[in-house]
Amino acid sequence: METRILLRNTIRISGKFKIGLRYLVLLGISVVLFAPFVLSFLGTLKTNAEIIAWPPKIFPENWLWNNWADTWNTDLGRGGTFPRWLFNTSFLAIVTATLQVLFCAMGGYAFARLKFKGKNIIFTFMLSSMMLPGIVTLVPKYVFMAKIHLINTYWALILPGSVEAFGIFLLTQYFKSIPGELEEACKIDGASYLDIFRNVIIPLSKPALLTLFILKFQAMWNNFMEALLYLSKVSMWTLNVALMTFQQQYVSQRNLVLVGVMFNAFPVLILFFLFSKYYMEGVSFSGLKG
Amino acid sequence: MKKQSSLSEMKKREEIAAYVFLSPYLLATLVFTIGMLLFALYISLHDWNLFQSPEFAGVKNYIKAFRSEDFRRGFLNIAWYTLIVVFTQTFVAVFMAVILFKPIPGKQFFRTFFYAPSVTSSVVISMIFIWLYLKTGYINLLFGKVAEIFGGEWQNVEWLNKPDGLFQLLARGVGGDIEYGKWYLHGPSVTWMAIMVQAVYTTSPTFMIMFLAALVNIPSSLYESASIDGASSWKQFWKITMPMLRPITLLVVVLGTMGCIQMFDYVKLMTAGGPLGTTLVPVYQIYTETLGINGPIRAGYGAAMAFILAVVIFALTYIQRKFIEEKTEQY
Repeated sequence: METRILLRNTIRISGKFKIGLRYLVLLGISVVLFAPFVLSFLGTLKTNAEIIAWPPKIFPENWLWNNWADTWNTDLGRGGTFPRWLFNTSFLAIVTATLQVLFCAMGGYAFARLKFKGKNIIFTFMLSSMMLPGIVTLVPKYVFMAKIHLINTYWALILPGSVEAFGIFLLTQYFKSIPGELEEACKIDGASYLDIFRNVIIPLSKPALLTLFILKFQAMWNNFMEALLYLSKVSMWTLNVALMTFQQQYVSQRNLVLVGVMFNAFPVLILFFLFSKYYMEGVSFSGLKG
Repeated sequence: MKKQSSLSEMKKREEIAAYVFLSPYLLATLVFTIGMLLFALYISLHDWNLFQSPEFAGVKNYIKAFRSEDFRRGFLNIAWYTLIVVFTQTFVAVFMAVILFKPIPGKQFFRTFFYAPSVTSSVVISMIFIWLYLKTGYINLLFGKVAEIFGGEWQNVEWLNKPDGLFQLLARGVGGDIEYGKWYLHGPSVTWMAIMVQAVYTTSPTFMIMFLAALVNIPSSLYESASIDGASSWKQFWKITMPMLRPITLLVVVLGTMGCIQMFDYVKLMTAGGPLGTTLVPVYQIYTETLGINGPIRAGYGAAMAFILAVVIFALTYIQRKFIEEKTEQY
């Protein structure tokens, strides 16, 4: 009897110990993952001397919130200001994400619901084009944009980014999961394909459309290489390109560079925490296609 | 009779509608995928500085790429990078996913929390790590504290400016050395490894989400019957979880390989290929040649290097696919 109680207690304690251990590991990972961001945030409030002093301290001596205002008001001339770069980045991200949702939904509808010649060939081609390394088309795209004078315009990023195989594939799979009865009823009532697309498919697919929008918004917001290639004028820079140059010119003011980092990181982080469910679904989907 | 014609008419209408709906994608693919592929081939066979008209060069650009020591060096660097980063990030991602998968209060919160840093851009990450890696930065502080605990002393390292290779350091540890000219024997440099750490830091959570999605799809009946048979959770992990995760592991490895080989951002932002060429990578070379950053614009040479790189990526991902598919058939 006694041994049994002892045994039960041991199991209970070891169970608790296991849960505690797991929390400890989770906490450890959280610290490692977030320390760089927290330290940078605290760094934005320090003087530049503090920021490069040895040994580095965690908290600022005086909390210099005006670093944020200083960075926001920095003017590199010829339209190079943070509000302008923030506008460029948001504009590009919103426009490309919107176009992606529209065009990919159109393509997805055709693949999921309509019968047409060449459907299988085009679909297979589309899937295999996803395995094409982006680097092959980098040089010709740059030359092409230069030759048709789209360098330093928003178009250079919007045109190639407005529709992609991945988005069509994602929405095709989602549309296929919508039951077809409603559409049949609409067809009998004489609705056109456009009516069905607009009034049945789109309203029923809001979660998938939102997922795609968020993924593409983030992709364009974080886009570095193409923005770097196509946008060389100061007033056309996105936050990413601006931050790179800002860091080179303001090596002596790392605190201001870190504020720039926050301007760049906060919008996507806020968007992420608002819509994390949709983010996760999008990422999981790209895993399930394998 | 009439009904039949209207049926074929309906079919035709459906077909036209389909192509109208598909037209944005078809147009974009025609121009930006097929068109650009052909254009890339054309450019790679020409010498072109973008100002004068292109001059036919045959396969000269390809030969030049193979002969270039810098290009070979870039390949070796990216090979080390891909090998180490893909392995480590896959391992870390599985580890985090398995810990987060077990029912535990606050699981959802941690899942969101872990993924958050990955949504920020490579520029954000690079700017932060440039600062952390300073000689007076927190990474050195951390090493110093750890050394203190073990009673040693830590010499602060300028992480982003340390060309010494891994094997070089090991050789020095046993009293020998490898001279700097023999770059192919150095192994990855300290700077290069610092960038690998940063890469694993940003990519692992993304792949963790993929593994989590795959874990949810493993039928719990498998674990239940294994538990009845008295299999330990360690054994269950190796006999059930790992085999069931094979397909997703393949995808993570393939996606990871594609991403790693085309790495550009960190090199551009943090090292520009230095110190002593130990972080030079092919895509960075393609970029500098095409834009003429270290000399005249050589778009043809850039395009040829891109093609070679693409063929290598294709071959690698094909081998990985075959290898893992073969292993999977046993189950």
